[in-house]
Amino acid sequence: MEYRTLPKKRIASFVTGLLKEFKVYGPVKKDGFPMYGEITSPKDLYLLHTPTHLSPKQYLFPQKETLLRFKSGANPPPLSPSGGGQGEDIAPVVEAENQVLFGVHSCDIHALRLLDRVFAYGPPDANYLRRREKTAIIGVDCMPDKYCFCKSVNTTTADSGFDLFLHDIGSGFIVEIGTQKGKALLHKHTKSKKTTAKEIRKIVEFKNKKAELFVAKINAEASTLPLIYSGSYFSPVWEKIGKICYGCGSCNHVCPTCYCFDVRDEIKANLTEGERYRVWDACLLEDFAKVAGGHSFRKTRAERLRHRFNRKFQYQVDKFGGLFCVGCGRCIRTCLVNINIAEVTNELIEESNRRR
Amino acid sequence: MKNKQKPKIAFFSFTCCEGCQLQALSCEDELPDVLSLVDIVNFREAIDEKRDDYEIAFIEGSVSRTQEIEEVKKIREKAKIVVALGACSSTGGLNCLKNRFPMEEVKKIVYGDKAKKYKHLDTIPARPIDAVIPVDYYIHGCPITKSEFLHVLKSLLLGKKPEIPNYPVCVDCKLAGNICVFEKGMTCVGTVTRAGCSAICITYGCICWGCRGLIDNPNIEAHEETLKRYGLTAEGALSKFDLYGGWERHGEKKQ
Ligand code: SF4
Ligand code: SF4
Ligand code: SF4
Ligand code: SF4
Ligand code: SF4
Repeated sequence: MEYRTLPKKRIASFVTGLLKEFKVYGPVKKDGFPMYGEITSPKDLYLLHTPTHLSPKQYLFPQKETLLRFKSGANPPPLSPSGGGQGEDIAPVVEAENQVLFGVHSCDIHALRLLDRVFAYGPPDANYLRRREKTAIIGVDCMPDKYCFCKSVNTTTADSGFDLFLHDIGSGFIVEIGTQKGKALLHKHTKSKKTTAKEIRKIVEFKNKKAELFVAKINAEASTLPLIYSGSYFSPVWEKIGKICYGCGSCNHVCPTCYCFDVRDEIKANLTEGERYRVWDACLLEDFAKVAGGHSFRKTRAERLRHRFNRKFQYQVDKFGGLFCVGCGRCIRTCLVNINIAEVTNELIEESNRRR
Repeated sequence: MKNKQKPKIAFFSFTCCEGCQLQALSCEDELPDVLSLVDIVNFREAIDEKRDDYEIAFIEGSVSRTQEIEEVKKIREKAKIVVALGACSSTGGLNCLKNRFPMEEVKKIVYGDKAKKYKHLDTIPARPIDAVIPVDYYIHGCPITKSEFLHVLKSLLLGKKPEIPNYPVCVDCKLAGNICVFEKGMTCVGTVTRAGCSAICITYGCICWGCRGLIDNPNIEAHEETLKRYGLTAEGALSKFDLYGGWERHGEKKQ
């Protein structure tokens, strides 16, 4: 590991330097709450240590993005789905700018690594991957709030998945160099000092202090969770939480590892040109699992919750080799009926212990 | 293309503020294109001409007088496709607030002592048009959004089924990157209200009043509990749904 030390007052000039080259996104204050937003001056940055309401995934996988534009050369305009077709003109759209995500917490760094795998799996997703290529990630240390449970899923620290990582040591930051790209950015845009052994010890002190502060936790080893979930398909827990759930999908949308989207076409009023776009979808929504003809293979909220939780702790793990819950606590924070993924998991653990 | 080949559309207005027609008319950018694709044969706000050989009828407003029942039925007979335009027409909207009071009282509040003398002020409980006739499509909202109006119109012209969201406003709220009003010490009914408005009220610092009506399968009990947890009384929680949800919640029961 390579480290450099950055006095606190240099952060502003570092950000100013980055702004000359990149779009910069980081935590800002919105209505008094931490949220990701565009940084246009170092003053906007709100390097608070608790999680933002939405995750930074929106900068790689935006809420809504155009995938292609089409023009139908047909004249007269295609007044029915079968009416067009002649002289179609289709152009793929990939919108990606050079950007820096500044102040990403370790849970979200883990989440982005998972998304990297997802979007490269099967036919590679050009839009995500192009954007990812053009993105630099600068991580920062954080402190848990009452919902964070990253410690239980081993995402409290990250040893890769970032270009630079800032460790707060009070007087300044120790900058952990993750990639050559990160190193070049640091040297180009600010002056840093050699890091001393004493300073390195402070990183460890911070880690130890942080480890003490977790309120929320899962009462079993992370590696045992897929098995526990696989035995919990018929648990009464699903009915219980299904009864109070709205099916609002907020838990999906705030989750840094949920990546489902819907693809739609919208045609302009001239009925000859239009675009195909994708927009975030959510497996908790009633119509998500509806297929042609109106049949739904997950009709009840209980089934949909079970599906989402299993996606985090079992199905995806089998496919991508890692828990898909990074313990950020966002879905708990956002849920107005207090459905708590850590507590539900603990109930399943208890049931599973009783079964043994 | 010759005019007679174009689909003919008509707009009708019943009890309402006509705000939704104005929204439709304010699609300036798209109107020239739209007008080249359809013939508007009846539109009080925009044209003088009146014909009744329309295929698609957009009906705005609630039914709140006996005479309107017949008028709405006539439109249904003539039109191939009937679209309810706006909250008043789709769910009954604000008009249904009056249903909670005796009709004589309502009349007196609005028109004063003279109310009794005027027979034409006689009203029946306000209701959405689908309480009277079958409706093919709904454009929700008070007022409607331009983009949804255009989406429905374009879909119908293409012979496609319009996509009207059946998920709650919370989705739009998250897509807009809003902080939930419950975090800010307020309450709203967006959890059970049909999205499609981009959560505009919340984006601009207000709450969701539910103007787009309920989603198909709302968890009202859960939301009553939530509202109570956030400090509302049982009655206060229920009344949250009544500004726009009067008809959906009470129908004709309370009249
Ligand atoms: S679990 Fe909570 S946030 Fe998720 S859909 Fe249900 S009510 Fe909404
Ligand atoms: S499931 Fe919940 S706690 Fe886990 S990563 Fe997603 S939002 Fe965070
Ligand atoms: S729905 Fe609202 S805006 Fe539209 S006509 Fe009715 S009162 Fe007016
Ligand atoms: S403000 Fe209302 S609509 Fe938005 S997320 Fe919160 S409850 Fe849902
Ligand atoms: S946020 Fe609620 S009240 Fe406002 S337009 Fe949307 S549905 Fe209507």
